[in-house]
Amino acid sequence: MKKGIVLLLIVLLVSSFAFAQGSKEAASSAKADAPMKVGVIYISPPGDMGYSYMHDQGTIAMEKHFGDKIQVIRMEGIPENESSERVMENLIDEGCKVIFANSYNYQQYMLNVAQRYPNVYFEHCSGYLANDNMSNYFGRMYQMRYLSGMIAAKMSPTGKLGYVGAYNTPEVVRGINAFALGARAINPKATVTVVWTNTWYDPSLERQGAIALLDQGADVIAQHQDTTEPAKAAIERGKYAIGYNADFRGMIGDDRVLVSPMWNWGNYMIPAVQSALDGTWKSQSYWGGLEDEMIHLSPISPLVPADFVKQVEAKQAEIHDGKWDVFWGALKDNTGAVRQNAGQKMSDEAMLTMDWFVEGVIGKVN
Amino acid sequence: MSEKNTDETPVVRMVNITKHFPGVLANDSVDLTLHRGEVLALLGENGAGKSTLMNMLVGLYRPDSGEIYVKGKMAEINSPQDSMALGIGMIHQEFMLVGNMTVAENIILGMKDLPFVPPMADIKAKITELSKRYGLQVYPDKVIQDLSVGEQQRVEILKLLYRGADILILDEPTAVLTPGEARDLNEILKKMLAEGKSAIFITHKMDEVMEFSHTVQVLRRGKSVSSCPTNTIKRVQDLANMMVGRDILFSLDRGPYKPTDVMVEARDITVLPIGGGKPVLDKVSFSIRGGEIFGIAGVAGNGQQQLTEALTGLLRVDSGTILLNGKDMTNKTPLQVIKSGVSHIPADRGRMGVVGDMSVGDNLSMKKYRTQELSSHSVINRSWVRKFADHLIDVFTIKTPSQDTSVKFLSGGNIQKTILAREIDSCGGILIAVYPSRGLDVGATEAVRQNLIKQRDKGNAVLLVSEELEELLMVADKIAVMFEGRIMDIVDADKASTERLGMLMAGVEREDV
Amino acid sequence: MRLALEKRDYRSTRMTVLVPIVSLLISFLLGAVVLAISNVNPLQTYGAMLKGAFGSQTKIQYTIAKTIPLLLCGLAVGIAFRLKFWNIGAEGQYVAGVIGITWVMQFWTFLPNMLLLPVGMLIGVLCGAFWGGIPGALKAQWSVDETLTTLMMNYIIIGYAEYLYINAWKAPRGNMGTVRYPEFAWLPRIWGRVHSGIYFALILVVILWFVLYKTRWGFELNMIGKNRRAAQCQGVSIKRNIILAMLVSGGIAGLAGVIDSAAVTHQLTKGVNSGYGFTGIIIAWMSGLNPFVSIVVALIMAALETGSDALQLMKLPAAMGEVMQGLILIPLLAGSIFTEYKLVTHTSHKEATV
Repeated sequence: MKKGIVLLLIVLLVSSFAFAQGSKEAASSAKADAPMKVGVIYISPPGDMGYSYMHDQGTIAMEKHFGDKIQVIRMEGIPENESSERVMENLIDEGCKVIFANSYNYQQYMLNVAQRYPNVYFEHCSGYLANDNMSNYFGRMYQMRYLSGMIAAKMSPTGKLGYVGAYNTPEVVRGINAFALGARAINPKATVTVVWTNTWYDPSLERQGAIALLDQGADVIAQHQDTTEPAKAAIERGKYAIGYNADFRGMIGDDRVLVSPMWNWGNYMIPAVQSALDGTWKSQSYWGGLEDEMIHLSPISPLVPADFVKQVEAKQAEIHDGKWDVFWGALKDNTGAVRQNAGQKMSDEAMLTMDWFVEGVIGKVN
Repeated sequence: MSEKNTDETPVVRMVNITKHFPGVLANDSVDLTLHRGEVLALLGENGAGKSTLMNMLVGLYRPDSGEIYVKGKMAEINSPQDSMALGIGMIHQEFMLVGNMTVAENIILGMKDLPFVPPMADIKAKITELSKRYGLQVYPDKVIQDLSVGEQQRVEILKLLYRGADILILDEPTAVLTPGEARDLNEILKKMLAEGKSAIFITHKMDEVMEFSHTVQVLRRGKSVSSCPTNTIKRVQDLANMMVGRDILFSLDRGPYKPTDVMVEARDITVLPIGGGKPVLDKVSFSIRGGEIFGIAGVAGNGQQQLTEALTGLLRVDSGTILLNGKDMTNKTPLQVIKSGVSHIPADRGRMGVVGDMSVGDNLSMKKYRTQELSSHSVINRSWVRKFADHLIDVFTIKTPSQDTSVKFLSGGNIQKTILAREIDSCGGILIAVYPSRGLDVGATEAVRQNLIKQRDKGNAVLLVSEELEELLMVADKIAVMFEGRIMDIVDADKASTERLGMLMAGVEREDV
Repeated sequence: MRLALEKRDYRSTRMTVLVPIVSLLISFLLGAVVLAISNVNPLQTYGAMLKGAFGSQTKIQYTIAKTIPLLLCGLAVGIAFRLKFWNIGAEGQYVAGVIGITWVMQFWTFLPNMLLLPVGMLIGVLCGAFWGGIPGALKAQWSVDETLTTLMMNYIIIGYAEYLYINAWKAPRGNMGTVRYPEFAWLPRIWGRVHSGIYFALILVVILWFVLYKTRWGFELNMIGKNRRAAQCQGVSIKRNIILAMLVSGGIAGLAGVIDSAAVTHQLTKGVNSGYGFTGIIIAWMSGLNPFVSIVVALIMAALETGSDALQLMKLPAAMGEVMQGLILIPLLAGSIFTEYKLVTHTSHKEATV
């Protein structure tokens, strides 16, 4: 037995030295004109087909755009604690000049690292902290939520809409409000009932949330979650669903998924990296909308009447041209209190800290 | 029963079997022969090595040396499967049945040569057939947990018969049975013998030996001391003498009996079992004076251990009063009992007496570590402990490589000496010793007994629980006999006879049996 | 030939030394096989992991910083394990500690600045002790199985913490987290990423070692852990000691949470249940419950995590890090059986031992 172990060990050692010889040669020949290294940190592996997947689509677009001018290093499944600081420093050690991080709770750690490494550019998605060498960026997804709310209300026989929300963050609250406003623009009696799962990613909890809503009579299920489970639960009951992040209609293969609001992160990442390459990088708090194509709608289901699709497209054009936006005009919250008078336009600051529901939403933020 | 023809090849022959456990010599050159159609009673006290010997026959243990022949061929028995293949099956004291499965399922459980989907109809038919043939009254579709203990035992028997066993080993089979069920068992055995099967019957009850067996073999302290046809035994008392042994007589220094004040008093101690039923201790009353050794005799399991645990605070009593050194110590904590001056040599030395994974020195200081003698301000002084332990090792002649050796590596005798040393050193007037010489060799036994007598001569009160009448007669001043949780009688040791004590131990109150 | 395990008559000293070494070798061999299958050079990968954990000052700092809470959790679990009390609730007790200190930091603003941190730490430790004491008391009084209670109580407190940082205590601006502690109440960093929590951890190691090996109470815990019934016969109160040990165990786990939040996160936030409490179980087990050995084991565990960044940098999938950690641990845990048992082959009368 002991002899066996020793023998195995020897074989292994010899073979790995041989291996090492080979790969060293390969490594040394690769050193030519050094590309700029870009680090990308994801909260989950892109295989989740949700949030990180969409980010990775942006990364892939960026890689295609720049070719061998850049080299991307991906770090996946990094927890939102001090480990993320370590990972950022490791990426800097590897020579990264730009670092993207895609989840909200990275922001404090990213700021900490940014202050220590003034020569590296940091790009944080979905937060609000910034520094001379750190930007934050996000997209006006609420604009798409509004459009999807219009479609949901049009297709709902009862006007009872359900919304599976992850956390009560301003981002999610804003999306729900936009969805409700869109729905009530079509059917003034429509309501949006909200359940919280307190998780971005948990297939079974997400499904349970959807089922609770369906049991209460909801006939369209929208979601701010990472998996297709809420949508699937609705389809299985013969009801409609609104997707998110990716085109759920294609993924599930059912036309009852009416539409999916989608991200297009590459449209931010490419110019950001370009400015780093050019040496023109500047810190900003970027909130891109339709005009930058940061966001878009998936193809709309054929079940939605064609003339109504035209109506949605008209609204989309209005937003795109800056003639109108979702949180313009008089707004009441769901206790009846007036939050905004007619003629007023909500500031970005107010949208980024939104912690109340508009009229028609059934549920509580806290 | 009649004597059997012993000319043919024996079905089992065990030759020169020796088996050691760490610190204990369980079997010492034992021979055993079993013939076809014979019932052999294996008689002996607890710890005499009966079960060990049988466990080697069914492959649960392997002998250190010696040979086993089955039906004339030398056998290599490494597992119960091996022994089953040779037709040997054992019914243990604790049944190995799955409570929520049926009789038929239990019987085929673990059988290897069954098809993936067992033909249940055929199996049930065979069970019913066997059950009828031997009068077992076992029904294949009944669920085990609905059966009485006696019925479960018959399922165990049927399990062995089903697998073709023709040599059955029964470990104290009547211990769990009512008298009626025991008679039924005897009938079943007779039917099996008539078909040429054989049986070995482990017991320590004389009457069963006389009733069931053709041959009786007596084990004492791991050795076979006698083997003879049952019908040559003239008196039950002869058997008892063989089992207990009259040969170990060594002289003990012993002062005159000078009892002083009552130091231990038990009044009507009653302990009920959890879940109700017959009391474990039933109004037990006695008193022990200083300078007195109070012996408690009885077959193990008649409440002796519960009595000592109640006295030492380990077991709550349901009613009654315990006075120790004049103070009411009923249902006090073990620590309060210890502080009132009680030392305790528990029944199970490995599980209760020592911490096997700790050193001899640590074990010796387990009573006194909390006193000023070994620690100050909650911190144990290691050098004081070393000195203290070395002193006790010396005084009590404990054989150990060093005081740092883990206790579990010592022999049984030296483990017991370690306990004795600790308990006697810290003794505050009352010493409770439970089976203190069980499983020890002659020398260690003598040391234990001598130490108990020394405590008595110093004026301490000693409670000695023992299964060996010989020991009690030699050491104790008074002997109480316990049977089924009651004290049958308390007699003066110098006036007591083995015969009378033996009858009391069997639950017979008068001498006219 | 048939193999069987037989209990050893004697604990083999040769085995106690040999087993961890051989186990470690087997661990690395197993890992090497997996790495080779994934088409990377095992030696190079191990080298990269080692460099990832200790390759520069910053990397060493991160590894040490990660060691601090792991070590504290290992110590916490170790105390309970001495009694054979299977506390798998260190994770929850850790979270209770964070809740405690956050409560003080948020609402005890009437305290002078100087006192905010010490009082916060104290309250956090007490919260951890309380959360550990409950299963201790349940076990002592009614013999409620502690593996279940401690495990379930993790989920209760983690759920409660979530409620606090998402709802009740949520910072006005921002998402999942409370307001950050005032900067004067942070535990200072002493060497790059390494913070002063390390003093607490190291001093605690010495204190625990002294208590466990030198005092009456340590002696009693040892007795109970090694033979509960014998300890009882010697007058040691099992109930009292179980409750006491769980208060201490929970308190130390709480301290781990307190230190990590006072020095690193500065708030109660998502990710508070970081798994340190569960890793603490492995650390306690592998260290043989010895506080000093725990330092080494905690450092190894920390290095396994910080070092596994290197695997992703080598383009291996993220899950490979966890695979490697598991592969390295399993033989170490499984190997311990050979110090108590020997492998026996039944062929003839001769017995071969390994």
